[in-house]
Amino acid sequence: MTEGQANQSTTRERKMSDKNAKTPKLLKQPLGRRDVIKRGLAGTVALAGAATVLSPRRSYASGAITIGSFQDNAMAPFRDYFVKEFTKETGIAVNYNETNYDTWYQNCKNDGLNKTGAYDIYVMDDNWVPEFAAAKIVQSLDQLGFKANQDILPKGLEMGLWPPKSGARMKDFASATPELYSIVIIDDVEILYYNADHFPSAPETWDDIFKVAQTTKAPDMYGWSPRGLKGNAIVQTYLPLLNSYGANFVNEDWTPGFAEKAGVAALSRLFSFIPYFPEGAAAFDTAEETQVMLEGKCTALTEYTGLVNRVDDPASSKVVGKINMATTPKQEKHGPAIGTFIASIASGAKNTEGALQFLQWFTSSKVQLEFARKFGGAAVTGSALTDAEAAGKHRWLPAIADSINNSVQKPRTPDEPKMEDILGTHLNMALVEAIAAKANYDAIAQAHLQAAAGEITDYLKQQGGYF
Amino acid sequence: LSATAETVEERESRARRLRTAAVPYLLLVPAIVALAAVSLYPTIDGVRASLHRYRYALDTGYTGGDNFVAVYGDAVFWKAMATTVQFIVCTVSIETLLGLLLALVVARELRFAGLIRVTLILPMTIAPVVVGVIWRLLYASGIGVVDPLFQALGFDAPNVLAHGLSAFLGLVVVDVWEWTPLMFLIILAGLHSLPQDPIEAARVDGANAFQTFFHHTLPLLRPVLLVAVVLRTIDAVGTFDQVYVLTKGGPGTATQLISIYAYNTAFLFSQYGRAMAMLISLLACLLLLMAAAVHFMRRSAEIAE
Repeated sequence: MTEGQANQSTTRERKMSDKNAKTPKLLKQPLGRRDVIKRGLAGTVALAGAATVLSPRRSYASGAITIGSFQDNAMAPFRDYFVKEFTKETGIAVNYNETNYDTWYQNCKNDGLNKTGAYDIYVMDDNWVPEFAAAKIVQSLDQLGFKANQDILPKGLEMGLWPPKSGARMKDFASATPELYSIVIIDDVEILYYNADHFPSAPETWDDIFKVAQTTKAPDMYGWSPRGLKGNAIVQTYLPLLNSYGANFVNEDWTPGFAEKAGVAALSRLFSFIPYFPEGAAAFDTAEETQVMLEGKCTALTEYTGLVNRVDDPASSKVVGKINMATTPKQEKHGPAIGTFIASIASGAKNTEGALQFLQWFTSSKVQLEFARKFGGAAVTGSALTDAEAAGKHRWLPAIADSINNSVQKPRTPDEPKMEDILGTHLNMALVEAIAAKANYDAIAQAHLQAAAGEITDYLKQQGGYF
Repeated sequence: LSATAETVEERESRARRLRTAAVPYLLLVPAIVALAAVSLYPTIDGVRASLHRYRYALDTGYTGGDNFVAVYGDAVFWKAMATTVQFIVCTVSIETLLGLLLALVVARELRFAGLIRVTLILPMTIAPVVVGVIWRLLYASGIGVVDPLFQALGFDAPNVLAHGLSAFLGLVVVDVWEWTPLMFLIILAGLHSLPQDPIEAARVDGANAFQTFFHHTLPLLRPVLLVAVVLRTIDAVGTFDQVYVLTKGGPGTATQLISIYAYNTAFLFSQYGRAMAMLISLLACLLLLMAAAVHFMRRSAEIAE
């Protein structure tokens, strides 16, 4: 050992000795089990306390708002452009969170029921409004002083009212005055997409579509591509027919209107297209249904407005510039189904003022005009949808306006999803049977619609509040 | 005085023994708390929910056994239960047979046994929802693979998902494709752990491969097979993702398993009470099934002894 090393060693020993001298009596004692448990608990409590104190917290002091939404391509301009524009104009920061449809429905419902305040604005599907308004998951915009833009198309605006302004009403809300709980932000509606190579002008009636369908030859060309999958999918195919034949999903007294003569005739009309359907149509959802059109293999279909951008995108379409749009065909009248994107203020919103300001701003005529002109979006104001410059760039906008004005809403009740599921299951069973039988369409339609009507009536009676 | 001193010592000694005995239980407390939080509480809350009525997403209070009465009077519920049983019987039996066959092949010292093992277990590693999407594309008419393949072979396109029976069988194929590897792995592990003496003795005595398998390997493997079947059955009851992506329970109600119906009832129709009544009924059935399996295993062990 060198002298230096010896010195270092001595110094280290001295330091250790000093340390020992300074060591508190507590640390010199042997540790018992009780001590370990006590100190462990104390440590855990201290750590938990520190974590709580030091954890990052959301700040609302700066006037930020939080918007939650489900994922949908139609929301892209809203999410990527308008949210930032709002912040630029007002200085109010926007936190935007989105997740898949089912998860978001549960998340916002739990947030609103427990008044957690995680979100200020919920972007919703319009059929959530009855449940969310009845359970006060969202606040009444009327009571918050929201002034709806008079330029918003009335049919779209009505989707945010609870109880509904027209149609069947649940007994608990029979005499209540309709209040605005949600404001429409995207006017999604079913429109007719038709191939201009086969239709010199927009087809007006189902007969016009049928005549062209009869000239098609599978598998190169089909006369109609439907969504035939059970549930919501096939109901969306059936509704424009049902409405156009003058039937109601439910009558004013909640009796199922689809099982009446007009409803059966509407379903038989759908079945009359079976020889001109692609193979496997009974299992088609949106992806398969629209793929047939994008491949240039069908003359017409009805679908929501999400398809408008894809038909002209060379990356996904072989029929760029060939597909035109119109309101869904009529029998007695036009009757497209409406399914708007709608927004509400959460019951536990922490920045109600900021949320109100955002909704007022986004639904203003100026912003909606930009939405239509820049993105071809399904704007909610009449002035935007009928604007010549916007329509010149995006040929589908007048069809959307026309369809909104002719649209028919589904039953406004929290039990609507169950009603739709029952009807959609029977429609699918009827379609499978009709495809196999290739005949007796009236009898098949009648039998399944009657069965669906019976099940829906039983369910509504069991739920109470209808009859 | 001496007696008193002894008593004090005895007391201290007893207290020390008690403390020593209590330590393991105290150490178990965190695990018990965690288990109660993630398992016991949701179950108890589920039972509570099954006895309550929900309207407009709100709990409107105790409703006794009304949810169970409504569920047992619902024809769709019984159809979903029947479909679930059919699905489990089909999938678990096919998976067990295939898993056993594959394990017997791979258990032999093949040249590429490692590579075969890895290849065989690949489907199991894919998320069920992705499996659903893959097979939906394969089955899709026009853009899929299955229909053109049938047509190329001179048959009609089956349109698998468009008809009740073919959609059901289509789901069985998907499940077998995904979960046979699990059965294969469990059975392969079981085969490797079997005592070799009786099997070698049988061979020395002149038993052929079939006799050795049916009289020695299979009886010895029975407990492993039973565990594998019980585990897979419990797992199959919860099958959801693939069905949701492929058919949503259709056409009609042909592929509507109880998991799909309960999910829709809870999260689409907002009938939490009824959904919980369904699931508690299902849980009761599963507990009965497990009790029967355990009883069977014990009896097998007793007979073997």
